[in-house]
Parts: sequence; structure tokens; C-alpha cells
Amino acid sequence: MSPALLIALRFLGARKRAMLMSLTGIVFGVAFFVITQAQTAGFEAYFIKTILGVNGMVRIEDRIQSTRAMTATEGSSFAIAVEGSVKYIPGVQHAKAVTDALKGFPEVTAASPVIRGNATLIANFREYDTKPYGIDLGTFLNVSDLETQIIDGSMKAFGESPYALIVGSRIAKRMNLQVGDSVLLDGAGEPQRFRVAAVFETGIDQVDRERVYLHLPAIRTLLNKPTGASFIQLNLLDPELAPALAPRIQEALGHSTMAWQEREKTWLQVFSVLRISSALTISTIIFISGLGMFNTLVMIVVDKTREIAILRSMGYTRADISRIFMLQGGIVVALGVTLGCAAAALGTYTLSHIPIRIRGIFASDHFVVLWDPWHYVAAAVIATVVVLIASYFPSRRAARLEPGAVIRGSSS
Amino acid sequence: MSLLRVEDLHRHLGEGDTRCHALRGVSFTIEPGRTYAIAGHSGSGKSTLLYLIGLLDIPDAGSIWVGDRETSRLTDDERTAVRNEHMGFVFQFHFLLKEFTALENVMLPMRKLGRLSEEAMRAKAADLLGAVGLGDKTRRLGTQLSGGEQQRVAIARALANDPGLILADEPTGNLDHANADRVFALLSDIAHQRGQALLMVSHNPELAHRCDHVFRMQDGVILP
Repeated sequence: MSPALLIALRFLGARKRAMLMSLTGIVFGVAFFVITQAQTAGFEAYFIKTILGVNGMVRIEDRIQSTRAMTATEGSSFAIAVEGSVKYIPGVQHAKAVTDALKGFPEVTAASPVIRGNATLIANFREYDTKPYGIDLGTFLNVSDLETQIIDGSMKAFGESPYALIVGSRIAKRMNLQVGDSVLLDGAGEPQRFRVAAVFETGIDQVDRERVYLHLPAIRTLLNKPTGASFIQLNLLDPELAPALAPRIQEALGHSTMAWQEREKTWLQVFSVLRISSALTISTIIFISGLGMFNTLVMIVVDKTREIAILRSMGYTRADISRIFMLQGGIVVALGVTLGCAAAALGTYTLSHIPIRIRGIFASDHFVVLWDPWHYVAAAVIATVVVLIASYFPSRRAARLEPGAVIRGSSS
Repeated sequence: MSLLRVEDLHRHLGEGDTRCHALRGVSFTIEPGRTYAIAGHSGSGKSTLLYLIGLLDIPDAGSIWVGDRETSRLTDDERTAVRNEHMGFVFQFHFLLKEFTALENVMLPMRKLGRLSEEAMRAKAADLLGAVGLGDKTRRLGTQLSGGEQQRVAIARALANDPGLILADEPTGNLDHANADRVFALLSDIAHQRGQALLMVSHNPELAHRCDHVFRMQDGVILP
């Protein structure tokens, strides 16, 4: 063991109570930092998982038609390009051609055309406005988590009947629908009869209270849309590829294409602000602990002035003295981070088992947490930087002491 | 070659109106195996001289030779290294580190020098404590020793790296007569037996006269 470390360890005991308070602050600061990050990041990750499972990673929607025009003087070769606005033609008219073209993008793992519309659901002598989604079951399950969102009935029953229907949980509750019930859907003035094959729940309130899924041929008849699709929903190798890929697809295929990050920008910003806000708030505990550490070390330097002088007289350099005090900070922060991370892991585990019913933007019956080693690294880095800065100034003060002046002052 | 040579040493202390010429051209040499006392009234420059020789202060002019090395213009780290290897200090107060045992206090200079193994350092520190009559109290903390015992631990600590020069500033000033006598005898015997030089500042004329040589100081100069 180096002499500086040995002396640092012994000096730590000089202000046990104050040092223990600083240590406790660091432990709590690190633990709370990690727990709040695990919680906010957990909810964010779960929201993203939910939203990707419902609306996919990328959607190709309306066709873009440029209205750029060229004006030229008659009889002259001189022409001026005039930048016009773009025009959006709703839907994907040639869904098959677009889907085939997507094979040129290796990042795309699945694509499914969807027809979206409005229809009134009639059952039990009541009417309810819904948004029917016509899907091709075989491909749609590759671009969504619909199968795992089923809470009653079965996907098999939906697949077996061309006039089967999957309704959102809020619709089922509102209209008192059970699996097997017969309902009418009125989309284009001609009501058609469907049978409820399953009930789904995404946890996203707006989806659960207005969406129903039909087979693609059924919705074409219902809405009188014999061709095309409202949009094509895509699944990618990695959700993070979406922002870069969407503009490329838009450019290549001439259809408005939106990545999930752009589509859910508002909620993602809310989560981001929450995460940063909680990190800043909890960091104040660490900052206050750092302040406590600073005070404690300053007191130790004052207490140990004569000891520092005698160490200098016997051959310890200014750097050695500085190291002794920096090491005291280092020991406390190492211990604080270790205990804090252990407490954080325990707290995160406990939190993830606390029952809480959440519905609205996703569905969960307990706290959602994200186990991310970077939360621990971030907490450790913040604590280390704060404590080392807090230790630096007392250590510099200790190193600057003139041993001769101190000893003569003590002797006189 | 002499152990220490001081040539035309000058030092001013204080600032502005309080500035005084504390040392006015002091020169002398120190030989190994001999004991020296610096005697004089308060304010004569005794302690100023001792701290300059101990490289704890920097002279305004003049030179201090430790062996064949001129030290007055060395960097702080270089002067510190010279102190660690060639000098041992005994002050009026023992200045033991209270969190360490007597043995550990004696080992501190050795740890810094870093030439011995942990076991060798322990053995040597125990020997030194034995030599100062504290062989049975090596594990005691400084606070568990009497004033005289603490000062003897400080002497053992000063001898830890076998320095050629032991500098003592009123080493008995805080002790009763019996303990003062014992501590001086210890320092003197060790210096003679080990071939180390002892340079001691003392107000006590009786102790000063028991040294091999006495430098009498007055108004910053050594009297002939």
C-alpha cells in the first residue's frame, strides 16, 4: 500500500461523523439517480415498445406530387425554375408496386398495407363511431404486436372468418361486446354484419376506444375502396434506423414517409424532459454531498496542519500531501458509488414489483423499469466528478502549507 | 569532506516596516559523529538558521552544501528528497501522527524513501524504538504515551532513514528536567555511536555545553 493511501485511510477517521454524512449523501444520491433514471427510461422504453407494436416503425402514406413549374419566354431558350408547393394525393394507390419496391431496402424486414376509414358500429341498440383498420393478417402480424395485444378471443378465430372483427377493449366495454357477438358496421351507407372474434388492448387510450380490425377484402367492401391502401406499415431491422431510412424511402418512392421518432415526437420529448429533470433534481443530492465533503476535508486540513508540516519535513512532497487528500475523496466516492449502485439495484428490483395499474399511453400493472448499465456509469461519473472537485481545493490548500512556518508557529 | 557546509548565509524576515535582517552572513561546517549546539538569546537567529539548514526555508543569499551538493537553489521537490534521505528532525513538540502507532510513526519516513520491504521497515522501526527504550510500546498510539516517550518516538522517527544530520529545535523544551536529560543523552549517544551529526538549538546552557561544539549567535551572526 502506498504511504499516501495509508495516511489517507487513517485521516478519514479524523472526522468520522461528517465523513459518514457525506458518504450517506453520495450513496443516496447515486441510488436515487439510478432508480429515477431506470423508472423514467423504463416507462419511455415501454411506451416506445407499445407504440411500435401498434403503429409500426415507419409508415408510407400519401403520394407526393411536385407542383414545380418551368416558365420560359416564348421562342427563347431562357427558362426559370419556379419552386412550387408539393401536393399530397391521399393514400398509396399502387400498394403492391410500393411493397415490391421496398425489397430494395435491406433494412426493411416486413411491410403490410392497411386501409383506414371511419364507420359506425351498431350493436345492442347502440351506435359508436369507430376507425376500422383493414389488414392483411399474414403480413400485419410482422409489423405489429397485435397478436400479443389480444386479451379475449383468439387471432385464429379472426383468421378463419372473412367477416371477423377485432375490437378495442374500450369499445367492447362501452358497447358491452363479448367475443362471438354479432355487430353491424356502417361505413359507406350500407351496413355489414361482422362477428367479434377477439378483443385487443394496447393501453393507448385513443387506440383502444376507436380502433377495430377487419380483413382487407372486408374493409374494401365496407368503405367501397376497391384498390390501393391508406398506408403501408413497415418493420425494420432496428427501430433506430427509421429516421435515416424514411427520407430515403420518401425520395425513392415519392410517398410521404414518416419514422416513428417523428410521429411520436411530442411524447418522446415529454419523456426526455422528465428524464433530464429528474436527473438534475437528484443530482443536487450528490452536489450537496460534495459540498459536505469539501467542508469535511477543509476541517481535516485545518486539524492536520501540524501533521502535514511534519510529513513535509520528513520528506513527503507537496504532490504526496495533495494525493493524501484527493485519495480521501476517492475512497469516499468509491465506497459511496459501490454502496449506491447496490442500493440502486435493490431499489430498482423492488420498484419493478410494486403493483400499479397504468392505462392511457400504455398498459402496465406494475412499475416499469429499464436495467441500463449506463445509468450506473452516469451516476458514478457525476458523483466522482463532484467529489473530486470538492476534494481538489482542500488538497491544494494542504499542499501549499509551508512546513517551516507551521512548525515554527507551533513551537513559538 | 564535511557533512554540511554553510557559507555566508543571509536571511531577511518580515515585510515592510517589520522587515529585519535575521541572518547576516553565517558560515560554518558540520562534521559527522559530532554534536553541535546553537545557543543565543531569543531573536538571535538560531531557529531561522536551523530551518534554513533543514531546507524548510530558502536563504536570500549564501549557500548550503549537504555533502557535495549545493541545496539552496534546489526545487521544492529536490529539497524535500534531500530532507527525506539525509536529515532527521526533532522538534520541541513531538508532532506524532495520532492515528498511527509508535511503530507506524517511525516507519513513515521509511515508507516515503521506499528502499525497504514492509517487513524490513517493521524490523528496523522496532530496533529504533528499542534503542530509545520503547521496545515494549511499539503498538501504542501516540496518545497512549507520556511526553518523554512521545519525544523518544520522535527521535526514533528522525533516525529512521539513517540520516547523516539530525536537526533538533529545542528538543527538550517541553520536557521536565529528568526527561530532558534523558532525551539529550539519547540524541548525543546515538550521534556519536552512529557517526551522525547532531545540530541542536537550545535555550538550555547546560545542555548546550554538553555538546562537542557550541555556536553562539547574536543579532544574526555567529560570535567568534
